[in-house]
Amino acid sequence: MVKFTIDNIPVEAQKGETILEVARRYGIYIPTMCYISKTNPCASCRICSVEVEGVDGFVLSCNTPPTEGINVTTNSQKLEEERTNIMKLYDVNHPLECGVCDKSGECDLQNKTLEFGIARQSFSAKDQFREVKHWNLIDYDPSLCILCEKCVHVCNEVIGDDAIEIKVGGYKSTIVPKDADTLDCTFCGECIAVCPVGALVSSNFKYSANAWELKRIPATCAHCSAGCPLEYEVRHSGIDGDQKIYRVKNNFEFSNLCGAGRFGFDFDAKALPHQKIAQKAVDALQKADAIEFSSIITNEEALILQKIKEKLGLKLVNEDARLFKNFMESFASASGKRLYEADLEEVKKSDAIIVFGTQIATDNPGVRYAITTASKQNGAKVSYFHPIEDALLQNVVTQFVKMEAGTEEGVAALMAKELLKDSKLPKELQEYFESLDEGYLEAESNVGEEEFAQMSVFFKRAKNKTLIAGADLFAHPRAKNIAKLLGFIQRYSDYKVLIVPKEVNTLGVSLLCELDEPVEDGYIVGYNTKGDYTISSFDESANLVVPALNQQEGTVTSIDKRVLPTNVALAFDGVCLNDIANLLGIEKRYTIDYTKELGRANEAFADVEFDTLENFLGRLGEDIRGYKLKNSDVSVNFSIEEVEELPEFNGVVVYHADPVLQFNAYTAKTAQLPKENTLRGSKQFAIAAKIENGEKIVLDLGDMKIERVFELDEDLKGTVAINPTFDVEMKPNRYRFEKSKIERVQS
Amino acid sequence: MSKVYFSTWNGERINNIGKPQEEWEESAYNLPAQYDEHRDSKAFIGWDGVALFDEDVDVIKLAAEYAATYQEYSEACGRCAPGRWGGRILFDMLDKIARGEGEMSDFEHLKEIGSSMQVTSKCEIGKTVPNPILDLMTHFEEEFLTCINEKKPSKHYNGDTSYIAKITAPCMDACPSHVDIPGYIEGVRDLRFDDSLEATRQTMPLAHTCGRVCPHPCEDACRRTNLDEPISIMELKRLGADYETDHNLGFLHPMEKKPSIGKRVAIIGAGPAGLTGAYYLAAEGIDVDVYEALPVLGGEVAVGVPEYRMPIEKYNKDIECVKDMGVNFILNHKVTADDMRRFEQEYDAVLVASGTRLSKKVRCENEREEIKGYWGAIDFLDWVNLYEKYGIKTPKEVQEKQMLPTDHVDLTGKTVVCVGGGFTSMDVVRCSVRAGAKKVYMIYRRDEKTIIRNTTYEEYHEAVEEGVEFLFHSAVGKIVDEDDVLKKLVINKFELVPDPDGGRPQLVKIEGADYEIECDYLIPAVSQSADFDFLPEEWELEMTSWNTLKTDGRDYMTSRKGIFAAGDCEYGPMTIVNAVGQAKRAASVISRYVQTGEITLTDEEIMEDHLRKLRVYDKNEKVTGWLPGLPRQVSEKLEVDERKDNNREVNLGFTQEEAISEAERCMRCYYIAMVAT
Repeated sequence: MVKFTIDNIPVEAQKGETILEVARRYGIYIPTMCYISKTNPCASCRICSVEVEGVDGFVLSCNTPPTEGINVTTNSQKLEEERTNIMKLYDVNHPLECGVCDKSGECDLQNKTLEFGIARQSFSAKDQFREVKHWNLIDYDPSLCILCEKCVHVCNEVIGDDAIEIKVGGYKSTIVPKDADTLDCTFCGECIAVCPVGALVSSNFKYSANAWELKRIPATCAHCSAGCPLEYEVRHSGIDGDQKIYRVKNNFEFSNLCGAGRFGFDFDAKALPHQKIAQKAVDALQKADAIEFSSIITNEEALILQKIKEKLGLKLVNEDARLFKNFMESFASASGKRLYEADLEEVKKSDAIIVFGTQIATDNPGVRYAITTASKQNGAKVSYFHPIEDALLQNVVTQFVKMEAGTEEGVAALMAKELLKDSKLPKELQEYFESLDEGYLEAESNVGEEEFAQMSVFFKRAKNKTLIAGADLFAHPRAKNIAKLLGFIQRYSDYKVLIVPKEVNTLGVSLLCELDEPVEDGYIVGYNTKGDYTISSFDESANLVVPALNQQEGTVTSIDKRVLPTNVALAFDGVCLNDIANLLGIEKRYTIDYTKELGRANEAFADVEFDTLENFLGRLGEDIRGYKLKNSDVSVNFSIEEVEELPEFNGVVVYHADPVLQFNAYTAKTAQLPKENTLRGSKQFAIAAKIENGEKIVLDLGDMKIERVFELDEDLKGTVAINPTFDVEMKPNRYRFEKSKIERVQS
Repeated sequence: MSKVYFSTWNGERINNIGKPQEEWEESAYNLPAQYDEHRDSKAFIGWDGVALFDEDVDVIKLAAEYAATYQEYSEACGRCAPGRWGGRILFDMLDKIARGEGEMSDFEHLKEIGSSMQVTSKCEIGKTVPNPILDLMTHFEEEFLTCINEKKPSKHYNGDTSYIAKITAPCMDACPSHVDIPGYIEGVRDLRFDDSLEATRQTMPLAHTCGRVCPHPCEDACRRTNLDEPISIMELKRLGADYETDHNLGFLHPMEKKPSIGKRVAIIGAGPAGLTGAYYLAAEGIDVDVYEALPVLGGEVAVGVPEYRMPIEKYNKDIECVKDMGVNFILNHKVTADDMRRFEQEYDAVLVASGTRLSKKVRCENEREEIKGYWGAIDFLDWVNLYEKYGIKTPKEVQEKQMLPTDHVDLTGKTVVCVGGGFTSMDVVRCSVRAGAKKVYMIYRRDEKTIIRNTTYEEYHEAVEEGVEFLFHSAVGKIVDEDDVLKKLVINKFELVPDPDGGRPQLVKIEGADYEIECDYLIPAVSQSADFDFLPEEWELEMTSWNTLKTDGRDYMTSRKGIFAAGDCEYGPMTIVNAVGQAKRAASVISRYVQTGEITLTDEEIMEDHLRKLRVYDKNEKVTGWLPGLPRQVSEKLEVDERKDNNREVNLGFTQEEAISEAERCMRCYYIAMVAT
């Protein structure tokens, strides 16, 4: 703790804090142009300079930690003069196109120019012609760019694409794609978000609306379980008063969005007259044997479905949530806690991370960004256990452990043995690990002593360790035993475990609904999934169309075990689940009347009124949205099954995983997101499957066939190809690796 | 020291305007009055002022050109608002005045922008570029005003003066390899570790190595010292190298390898100098064969520097990086005089980088090679390291000569005396501790302070911690043997007697203070010399007085055309970074020589030498604009009990957090110097 004063106010700095950070924490204003809280200081604008008593010259506040007893002055005539001079320089030759610039009204340059009263330009530099660059979803206008470097820092330090850099050249400096002619990245659009001026903009939004006309609706992203905060920006779209979402923005100072969150906002549902008749849905439900539903719903919808189940005595089927629930229950029976321990903040703080059973970069970009942050800021070492190496993670992964598909149980056992080798274990577990047939497991899984030895070299100095486990495991035939092993790791090692729920509300649904096994025969009502009678916000051909997640009030439960509110960005003209429930005699005025009953349904939730839930980040970035689930103790059961014989995946094997920016039927529906639905495989795969790049094929998975074009991907290695699922309805109880047949389509 | 017409360098005020040349005063500084053999300098302008060697210099054009270099030297700049726009405006306005189109308001704005840049710029370039420009505007105001008022171009606006500029920094200047230190530290600060590594590799291919075992002369020239403590420059170098290795990125070369130009160069020795020469020659598209006498690559860093200081796994990464550039290595080939005669015919040039691998004697009574237990440091370390790093066993004849019970150097229960005081002797004593010796002594003629100065504080301190006993002001007087087996040593004691005339104090033997040490080994590590048996006698290569190959220290060609020398065999036993710096320069000269047959230096290299002479670092300069008192980060070291019986790396390096904090302390002291000729 360092004590000093800022403008005569006594303040205290925590370890690692800079003068600027302390000032902000105490609410003392220091102007900045290039500072962004979530990265290392860019230190390019120099406006945050302050004076320190007894020190000649100015001291930069953004990257200088204070020393004991100094007296800092944040404003003086001299500082004001120099800051004004810097603003004068920023304004030299800056195009006077504020009238049409996307950023006008929310532009840092505009604001600071006003703040420092720069009314005229008294000197100039020779102007230069600079071409606007079109990089797919992003446009870059170098003449508007003030080279603050925020975009470059964020892309590298938080996102991990490292796709842009500064081409330094004094006055000619620009932002350029790194080592490439055009921008080749995951198009998260964070560069657009952090750009303080109109240099980096969304190419589709450009020139379509003024910032001040757009109404901001705070919401939670609907595409994966990361629960990223965002704001839908809405305005009328024509003369008839129709509203449209024009763009999505985020509080980029502290949080991130991936491209699906940012560009994939137009998934709102529209009901035709015949799709608005609630009574038909009621009839269908009354004769139904089961409701099959997706986890892309709110907690409140989940609770209503549970009530309908109770009322009508039908079954509730959601294999995504049921498998997750089983997994978590088994995990809890070993860990002694109902929920996993880690969250995204924990990942960001880590200096050692194991990723296991997930293609995390695309499964959950929020987790990816947390790993990137840990890697860059803390130098975290990352061991990635998977059958397929992911090129997106090359800059952060320090050890790729190529394991055989299907051998997750064996790897989990070996991993648990390794991570628990210095822990004091109960006798049952000691005996269990002693009796493991390591030779066999190592031979079959391809993971062994050598890999763990390398990992322990990397992790030697680590103090904050995290294990991230994901969706490959949930539908694994041995999921329960895998979960149990991970549970023991959390209980007995210094690793904190993070389990990545698949869909936006898998965790919430798994806690709120009593779920049944799939029904073989019988009449099925589908809710956001296909059924004999379909109620859906995804499917335009549904029997009844209900509002999508950007047309609803309610809450979802994120990977951070946080219950997050989301709001209505666009009105929905039609029927919602609550209307149907009311007709069934389950009466509540609004869907959000169920928010305060969530705690009664499951004790992890709280009984809180929807309207009292906050939906913003604190001034210093604290996540105060909604509330955290309560994690409670459960009894531990030490019995654990022997590892079964490990399966072999020979021949043509595919892995079900979506490409960047795609997650589900919502993202599949949007206009801006690319719909790359090819089967991607390596050269080795192409040879084994006897197919060529660009060839049309049919993927035969036994119970379903999918038409695909095969794409040869030079970044991929190994014999497993990647099959997207966003454009096909695929049962979530399929293990993600599958042997398949490939048939060539005769053209 | 040379006569100048005008100088404001480092605060001096020499103004000979209007005086005849004979009466001109001399500058107190080593200014580059003569650019090279062919060219005189007209002016020298830099961060610290401006000097004119000629009355006829067009000062307005000089100022404009200096501002222009700031724009051009963009690889270092364009990173802050005051510098980016301010620099451009400085140039535009100066050029406008020089063209004869300037206004009085431009003159005023120049002052305003200049002084703003001095206060607010990110790095020293931005802060110092206005210095000499404002000096010129003050002292030659009339010339400026004439151009403005009469709307006429400056006197030699379209003249044929050429301007040669060079970017430097105090640390870069002090580094024998002239590594772009602020560049690689900025890479760490920006968390762009690939950029950091590429900045290092521009002039230093051994990033892992020099991030560990460099004696870092740069840190003695770090400007941050003027404020609090120097930046931990050396250790920050590891970050980039570790990033590349840890993420399996493949080798990030800062340049693209040129296609083969059909020229061949032979290099003798695969130590730091040989590796460096090979790397930069190969990058130029030259086919390089490196001949190495040992069965392993790496020279003294491989077989001399112990594993606990320089893990071979990391050094091998540096070596692989050189290989990756496309270099051919021939191991186990001890080059002979006949080879050399042949090489001269078959290759377009030869670079000798054979090091100094003969241990010098301690010069005492009864000092005989055949005494068992008398063991030269180089040979001792060879066998220790070959076994520890490569598993190569000590051969029977060495086992027998040195009374080893096993196939490696095991000193369990033995007493070892080392005579030395430099890095090699530290390696000997600390390896002896690790080999199980019961007692280890270091005998040194001078005192503790001097041994620290000759090595590092850490090295000395760690050796003491590990139980080495240092006997200062001592020397071996006599070796006592029984049947050619070492039994004990007679040690002479010395004292420092001040010189009554105020000169250096003299070491004088204290009569009657001799004492004895019983021991099993005496390992002389006083110094090394080069083995030049392989040089054809008839070449009559010129040698220095300390028996190394003589060159002019600039182009590294020996007295025989086409035969170059770099590293310890040229300089005498010195540091890795010195060898790298010499070999980098030699490679540059050779790359032109093989094509043109001429020995030339680039402007960059000529300026480098000028600046080295002038000295960039000024320890008396007052630093402003930075908060003093931020402590230098210290990396974690293994505790003595964890390290003294094994080869684990002692210095664990910075954590990322420590590294970033340390990088934030760097003041980016880039400067631009420019000569007008």
